Amino acid sequence: MNARRAQLLWFWLFAGPAVLGFACFSLWPMLYSLWLSFCRYEVVAPPAFIGLRNYSYLLKSDPAFWPSIKVTLFFTAVQMPLSILGALGVALLLNQPVRGRGFWRSVYFLPSILPQAASAAVFVYIFQADGGLLNRVLGLVGIAGPAWNTSPTWALPVLVIVSLWSFGYPMVIFLSGLQSVPRELYEAAHIDGAGAWARFRHVTLPLISPVLFFNIVMGIIGALKVFDLAYAYGAAQGLEPGGPARATLFYGLNLYQQAFTYFHMGLASAMAWLLFAVIMAITWLNFRLGRRWVHYGD
Amino acid sequence: MNLRHREPLLWSAIVALAVAGFWWAGRAPAPEPADGRKVITWISFITPLRDYYEAEVAAFERAHPNVHVRIIWAPQSEYHMKFKTLAAAGQAPDLFYSGDVWLRYLMPFMRDLTPLVKRDDAEIGLDDYFPPIRAAMQQDGRYYVLPETTNVALLYYNRRLFAEAGLAEPNEAWTWTDLVRAGQKLTHTERDGQPGVWGCSRVEGWWGEWLIYVRQAGGKVFSPDGKRCTLDSPEAVAGLKFFAEKSSRYGISAPAGFEPLNGFVNQRVAMIVGGHTNYWPNYNQVPALDWDVQILPAGPASRRGGELAIAGYAMSKTARYPEETWQLLKFLTRRETVAEVVARGGIAVRRSVAEAHLRNLRPSDRPRHMAAVYHQMDFADPIPRDAHFIELMLKIVQAEIDRMILGELTPEEAGRRAAAAANAFLATFGSSDS
Repeated sequence: MNARRAQLLWFWLFAGPAVLGFACFSLWPMLYSLWLSFCRYEVVAPPAFIGLRNYSYLLKSDPAFWPSIKVTLFFTAVQMPLSILGALGVALLLNQPVRGRGFWRSVYFLPSILPQAASAAVFVYIFQADGGLLNRVLGLVGIAGPAWNTSPTWALPVLVIVSLWSFGYPMVIFLSGLQSVPRELYEAAHIDGAGAWARFRHVTLPLISPVLFFNIVMGIIGALKVFDLAYAYGAAQGLEPGGPARATLFYGLNLYQQAFTYFHMGLASAMAWLLFAVIMAITWLNFRLGRRWVHYGD
Repeated sequence: MNLRHREPLLWSAIVALAVAGFWWAGRAPAPEPADGRKVITWISFITPLRDYYEAEVAAFERAHPNVHVRIIWAPQSEYHMKFKTLAAAGQAPDLFYSGDVWLRYLMPFMRDLTPLVKRDDAEIGLDDYFPPIRAAMQQDGRYYVLPETTNVALLYYNRRLFAEAGLAEPNEAWTWTDLVRAGQKLTHTERDGQPGVWGCSRVEGWWGEWLIYVRQAGGKVFSPDGKRCTLDSPEAVAGLKFFAEKSSRYGISAPAGFEPLNGFVNQRVAMIVGGHTNYWPNYNQVPALDWDVQILPAGPASRRGGELAIAGYAMSKTARYPEETWQLLKFLTRRETVAEVVARGGIAVRRSVAEAHLRNLRPSDRPRHMAAVYHQMDFADPIPRDAHFIELMLKIVQAEIDRMILGELTPEEAGRRAAAAANAFLATFGSSDS
C-alpha cells in the first residue's frame, strides 16, 4: 500500500464514524423531511404526495402561520438587541478590576443554567394579574396593572422581559473578547487624549467586532427558533402554549404543535424548511453586512 | 481495483449494514420472557393510581399464569407522542388508553371490539352502563372502547358563599337567567379586609364552558355531515355572546385574565359552569371548602349541551394476542375496578356501581348531591366525533374566542372568523367523514 492509499484509509477510518453518523442522523432526516413537506403524513397512514399543498395552506389559509411569523419577528427585533446590549454592558462591568469579580460573573451567569420551566413558573407569579408581585407593587402607588400574562398586548413583551433575565452565554463570549483586547492600545489611546467613550468606540468595539458579530448571528438564529420559553410559560399558567389569541405563538412553538401535538408531519416539515430558508437568508445577509463593520485584524 | 475505486463499494456496504441494523432494531419484537409466557404491552399515563394498576396487573397475571403484562408508563403530556411513535415503528402497544374524545383520532389503530363485546355480553353487562356512556363507547354502531370512568359537565357551587349571600342553592329548574341573577348577588369587591368574590368562573383557553352555551342556545360546531364548521350560525353566536357577556354585561365573571388563581378552591369564585371531576380530589383536600354540584342551568333552546366524556381502554388492531389482551381489557374495566375508581373520587360508568355509591354516601362526602351527577348524564352529549376536533378547537377556533372575551371581536365576528378558519382547515385536511 502506497502512502496515498494509506493516508486515504486512515482518513476514512477516523472520519468515517462521524460522516456515517451525520449521514444517518442529520442528512437523511433532513432529506426525508424535505420529501415529507410535499406529503400529507399524520403518522397513522403512509405519506401521500400532495405537491405544494402544505406550502400553499401555510402561506394562504393557515390562521396561525402569519401571526407566528409576526410574533417571532417582533421578539427577534426587540429581544436580540436588548439581550446583546445587556450582555455587552454587564461584560464591560465584569471586565473591570473589581473585588469579587469571579463571584459576580457567576451570579450573572446563574440564570442561564436554571431550567426554563422553573424560571417560567416564578415569572408567571410575578406577572399574575390578580395578586401577582408586580401588580401589588403597582397597586401601592395607585396603578391598576393589566393582566400581563393573558393580555395579547402584554403577553409578548412579558416574554421578552423574561428572556432578558438570562444572557449568560453571550456575556461570557463578550468577556473573552474583551480580555483579548491588548492593554497597550488603551494606553496609546489614553495618551492621545481619548476619553472613555472614544476608547470604547474606536478601540474596544472594532476589536471585539468578530465576537459581537458572532453573538448577533447566534442571537438572531436563537430568537427565530424560540420554543421552550413560550412552551414553559404557557404550561406554567396551565394554558395551551401560544395564547392568548396567538399572542405568544412563536414559529418554533407553532411548528412543534403541528408536528408533535397534532401530528401533521408534512405540514411541520414544510414549516421547518421555510424556517431553514429564512435563517439561511438572514445569516447570508448578516455575513454580507458584516464585511463592512467586522474587523478580523488581518 | 485501487482503494479509490473500492471506496463507493465500501461506503455502500457500511450504509447497507447500518440501515439493516436500524431496521432490525426497530422491527424486532419485544423479547419474550424465558418462561414462555405471552407478553401483552399496555401503555398508560403516569397517574396517582399507578400502584393500584400495578396491583391489578399482578392480580391478572395470577389469574392468567400464561400471560405477562408489560406496562409502558408515559407522562400524560407525552402520551400521544409516545403512542404514535411506537405505532409508526410497527410496535403499537396491545392495549391503550382512549376515550370518546380521542376515539375518532385513534381509530386507525383500534380494533373493532363488537364481536368480542357481543360474545361476552353476559360477563360485561352492557345494560349496566348508562345509555349515554354506552353511546360514547361506539362509533357508527360499533364498539371500540370499554370505559373505566367518565366526566360530566356540571354546575359547581360554593355552599358557604350562597348562604352568606342569602341565596337558595341552585336547583334543577335553573336557567341562564337564574345563573346571572345569583352570580350578581354573589359578586362583590373587597370588603372588611376580605378579598372580593366573583359570582361565576369563566373557563378560558379551551372549549370547556363556551361549547355548553353554544349547544344550549341551539348551535352546533359542525354541520350534520361534519364537513363544515357552523360556529357562525345565529344560534352558536348567541351562545358565544352569553359567554362574553358574563363579564362585559352581567359582571358575574372576572374580565379576561383577572380571575383569581384557583379561585373556586380559594373561595373567591362561587360557581363553575362545566368544570371537571379530575379536580374533585383537590377540592376535597380543602376542609373549609363546602362545595356541591347541580345539573347545568338550561339555555334558551335546551338543557342539553353539557359535555360527557368517557375514559377507558381500547385494543390495538395489531395486538399479538387478541384474546389475552381482551381478557385484560375486561379485567381493567370490570365492576370492581369501576367501584375502586369511584371510591377514589371518580364517577361511575355502571349503573350498579352508581346505585351502590349513592346508597353508601356519607354526610361528610363531597359532592353531596351525587344524584345530580347521574341525572346530568340525561342532558349530556359527547363532543363532535371529528378526528381534528381537538386541534380545530384549541389551535384555530379558540384564538377567536380569546379575542372575543378580550373585547377585540364581537361574538358575530368571532363566530364568523372561527368558522372561516376552521373551514379552510377542513378544506385542506378533510373532515373525518371525507
